[in-house]
Amino acid sequence: MASGIFTRTATGSHDQTVKRGIFMSSIATTESHTPQPDASHGEHKLGFFRTYIFSTDHKMIGLQYLFTSLFFLLIGGFLALLVRWQIGFPNTPLPILGQFLREPYVIDAIIQPAFYNMLFTMHATIMVFLVIMPLLIGAFGNFLIPLHIGAKDMAFPVLNGVSYWLYFVSGAIMLSSFFVTGGSANSGWTAYAPLSAVATYNLTQQGQSLWILGIFVNGLASIAGAINYITTILLMRAPGLGLFKMSLTVWSLFVTSVLLLLAVPVLSAAGCMLYFDLNYGTSFFLPQGGGDPLLWQHLFWFFGHPEVYIMILPAMGIVSDVLAAFARKPIFGYKAMVYAMVLIGLLGFIVWGHHMFVSGMSLVLSEWFAASTMLIAVPSAIKVFNWLGTIWGGNIRFNTPMLFALGFVSMFIIGGLSGIFLASTPVDLFVHHTYFVVAHFHYVLFGGSMFAMYSGVYFWYPKMFGKMFDETLGKIHFWLTLIFFNLTFFPMHNLGLGGMMRRIADPTVYEHLRNLQPINQFVTLAAMGLGLVQLIFFYNFFRSLLKGKPAEPNPWQATTLEWTLSHPIGHGNFQKIPTVYHGPYEYSVPGLEKDFLPQDQKLDEEETVKMTKALAAAH
Amino acid sequence: MAAARTDNLWWLPPVITTRGQEADKIFYFIFWLTTVVFIVTQILLIYYCVKYRYRKGKKAVYSHGNNKFEIIWTITPTLIFFGLFFWSNHVWKEFHETPPADAITIEVTAEQYGFNMRYPGPDGILGKAEDSSMSKDNKLGLDANDPAGKDDFTTYNDMTIPVGKPIHLLIRSRDVIHAFYVPVFRLYQDMVPGRTINWVWFVTTEVGNHELACNQLCGKGHYNMKAKISIVTEDEYKKWLQGFLPEPQPVVMIKQ
Repeated sequence: MASGIFTRTATGSHDQTVKRGIFMSSIATTESHTPQPDASHGEHKLGFFRTYIFSTDHKMIGLQYLFTSLFFLLIGGFLALLVRWQIGFPNTPLPILGQFLREPYVIDAIIQPAFYNMLFTMHATIMVFLVIMPLLIGAFGNFLIPLHIGAKDMAFPVLNGVSYWLYFVSGAIMLSSFFVTGGSANSGWTAYAPLSAVATYNLTQQGQSLWILGIFVNGLASIAGAINYITTILLMRAPGLGLFKMSLTVWSLFVTSVLLLLAVPVLSAAGCMLYFDLNYGTSFFLPQGGGDPLLWQHLFWFFGHPEVYIMILPAMGIVSDVLAAFARKPIFGYKAMVYAMVLIGLLGFIVWGHHMFVSGMSLVLSEWFAASTMLIAVPSAIKVFNWLGTIWGGNIRFNTPMLFALGFVSMFIIGGLSGIFLASTPVDLFVHHTYFVVAHFHYVLFGGSMFAMYSGVYFWYPKMFGKMFDETLGKIHFWLTLIFFNLTFFPMHNLGLGGMMRRIADPTVYEHLRNLQPINQFVTLAAMGLGLVQLIFFYNFFRSLLKGKPAEPNPWQATTLEWTLSHPIGHGNFQKIPTVYHGPYEYSVPGLEKDFLPQDQKLDEEETVKMTKALAAAH
Repeated sequence: MAAARTDNLWWLPPVITTRGQEADKIFYFIFWLTTVVFIVTQILLIYYCVKYRYRKGKKAVYSHGNNKFEIIWTITPTLIFFGLFFWSNHVWKEFHETPPADAITIEVTAEQYGFNMRYPGPDGILGKAEDSSMSKDNKLGLDANDPAGKDDFTTYNDMTIPVGKPIHLLIRSRDVIHAFYVPVFRLYQDMVPGRTINWVWFVTTEVGNHELACNQLCGKGHYNMKAKISIVTEDEYKKWLQGFLPEPQPVVMIKQ
C-alpha cells in the first residue's frame, strides 16, 4: 500500500532523542511486541513541576490541553445557557446568578442588551479558540501523534510545552476581559469592523483590545503546535510507516496543521491591524481614513473558512478510527478518505467568500465563491459514503465511543445538508444571518466536532489514564446528549426559516417573531437539559479516574501502535521503536485467528500462507 | 405596525416579491433533495447498525473499498451540486440586472440605531450625496448645490412603497455595518459604510405592513433597530407623497 516516494523512516530523529537523554533504556534487539514499562523511568524521575506543570512529555501536554479545554467547555457552555435564557425569557430576571452580577451588565437581575452581546461573543470565542481547537488538536494531537507513528516524543518537546502555556495564557486573557471597564468584547466572534475598530461604536475598547491580544497569543500557540505536528509526522515515523499506512487520525491532524500554519498568521496580522485601528487611530478598516471594512472580512474569513475545516477534520479522523475499530472492518476507501481530506484542505482556501455573498463585495466574486463552495461539498459527501461503507458488512460493537462516532455521522449529515441551502446564493439572501445558520453550524460543531471529541475521549480514556470509564454512564450520556442536542438545535432551523435573526437580544420586539417565542422557550429548556446531561460526562470522567477498573493495554482490540503500550507509558513511549508491517485498519483479515492485526505484528510464514489462501478463496 | 404571523410558524413566512418567488423555487428544490438524501442515509445508517450488529463468532467482511462505488459517489454529487450552482447563479444574475427605467429609487442610510430613507421628490431624481460630506448636521452627506436634491425628502424608520412597482434601493451606512433584511421579501443586504450599494431592486406583489430589521450586529441597540415598511396601492402612495411636497400651495399665494 505504501507508495515509494512517501515512505520514510526516521532513524535520524531517534538519534536526536537518544542524545537528549530522554530515551533512557538501551534499545532492545528482540522482536518481542510485549509492551514493557520503561524500566529506567524511576532513576530519572522528574520533579512535580517538570512532570505536571512545565512538562515536555507530549502525553502530559496532551492531558494538560484536555483538562484545560474541558474547563473552558464548562464556561463556554454556561455562557450559552445565559444566551439562551435571554432569548427564551427576555426581560425576565435571571434566577440566582442575576443577584450576583453587577450593573451595567445586569439591572434588576435582567440581562442588558450590551451584556447579551458580550455573552454570545465570548461563548463563540471560547468554544472555537479555547475548547474545540485545543481539544481536538491540542489534546488528541499531542497525546496521539507520537504514539500513533511510533515516535518517542514530538520533534520539539520544549516548543510543545511553550505552545500549551501560550494557550493557557490566551485563555486567561480572554477570561480577564470580563472584568475590565466596559466589559468584554461584544462585536461577535467575527469582530466585524468598523464596530470592532472604533471605541465609540462598541463601547468596549479595553475588552476588545484584550480579545485581539487573546486571539494573537492563541494564534502563537496554534502555530507552534502546527510546526511541531508537521515536523513530527513527516520526519519521525517508525520504520515501515509510510504516509499511506498512517491512521486517518494522524492524516487529519497533518492536514489540519498545514491549514493552521497557513491560515492563523493571516488572522494574527489582521488582529494587529484591528488593534491599531482601535487604539492608535489608523484606518485599515475605516472608510473615513481611506480603509475598507470589507478588508477585515476578507482577512478574517481567509482564516475563518480554513478554520471551519480545522475544527472538523480532526473529528473526521477520530471518527474514522473509531468506526473501523468497532465495526471490525478496514476503512472503506482509505485512500479516497485521505484524498478527500487533502482536497478539503486545498479547497478550504478558496471558498472564504461564501461568508460574504451579501456583504457588499463584487457580485462576480460571489459567483466564483458559490462555484468553489459547491465543489468543496463533494469531498465531505465522499467521506459520508465511505463511513457508511465502513459499517456495511461489519460486526458492530456498540460501546460508547462507537455510539458517539455513529452519532457524529448522523448529525454531520444533517449539518452538511443544511449547508447546501446556504451555498445557493439566492436562498442565502433569505436565510443569511438567521437561526438557520446557527442551526447549521451547531450541527457541524456540536453534532460533529463535539460528538467526535466525546467519541475520542471515551476511546482513548483507557490509554490516557489506564482506567476504564463506566460504560453504562457513557451510554446514558450518549443517548441523552443525542436527544437533547436535537431538541435544542433542530427547531433553530424552523426559527431561521421563520425569519429570526441571529444576535438579537430580544426577539419579542419584532412583530414577525413574536409568535415564534414558544419555540424559543422550548429551545431554551432543551438547551438547559443538554447542558445538564453533560455533567454526566464530567462525573464519569473524574469518578473513573479514581474508581475506574484498570484497563488492559488494548481493550478495544485495535490495531494502531498506541495499543501495544501498557499503562503507564513512560517518558519516551517505546522501549524499542516498533517496525510497521501493515496498514492501520487490518481488521477481520481472512485466515487469521484474531479479528485484528496490529500494525507492528510480523506474520510468520504459516500465517502468511493461510492469509493468502483465504484471501484468494474470498475473491 | 406589522401584523404578527398567524400562518404555519414552523415554516417560511409568505413571500411577497417576485424575486422571492424565484428564490423559493430553489429553496423547495433543495428542501426535497436534502430530505430524500437525509432519509436514505439515516435509514441506511440505522439499517446497517441493526443488520451488522455484533454476533459472537461472526467475522466482518474484509473489504478495503470499491473503486466503482467511489467513482459513482464522487461524480453524482458533483453533477448535482453543479446543476444547483448553475440554476442558483442564473437566478442570482437575474436579481442583479439593471433595474427597469420606471423603478422608484429610494436611498436607505443606516446609522446606530435606525434607518434614514431619502425619496427623490416629484422630479424622480435623488440629489447627489457623498460619504465624505457626512457630518452631524448633514447626516446623509447631501450636496446642497445639486438642484435635483431640492425636492428630496427623508423619513426615519418609515418606508412607504407602492405595490407592483419596481423599487430600486441605494444602500449606505453612516457608521458601522448594518443590514437591510426583510424576510417576506427574501432579501438581505449588508449596509457598508464607505460604499453605496446600488444593485438591490425588487417588485412587491401585495399590500401590507412589514418590518425591516437590521440583521448585522451593530452595537448595543442592534436588537431593536427596525423600521416600518408599508406597501400601499399606487393611489395611496401618491397621496402619501403629497404630504412631503416641498412648497405647499399657500406659500406660493402669499408671494403673489
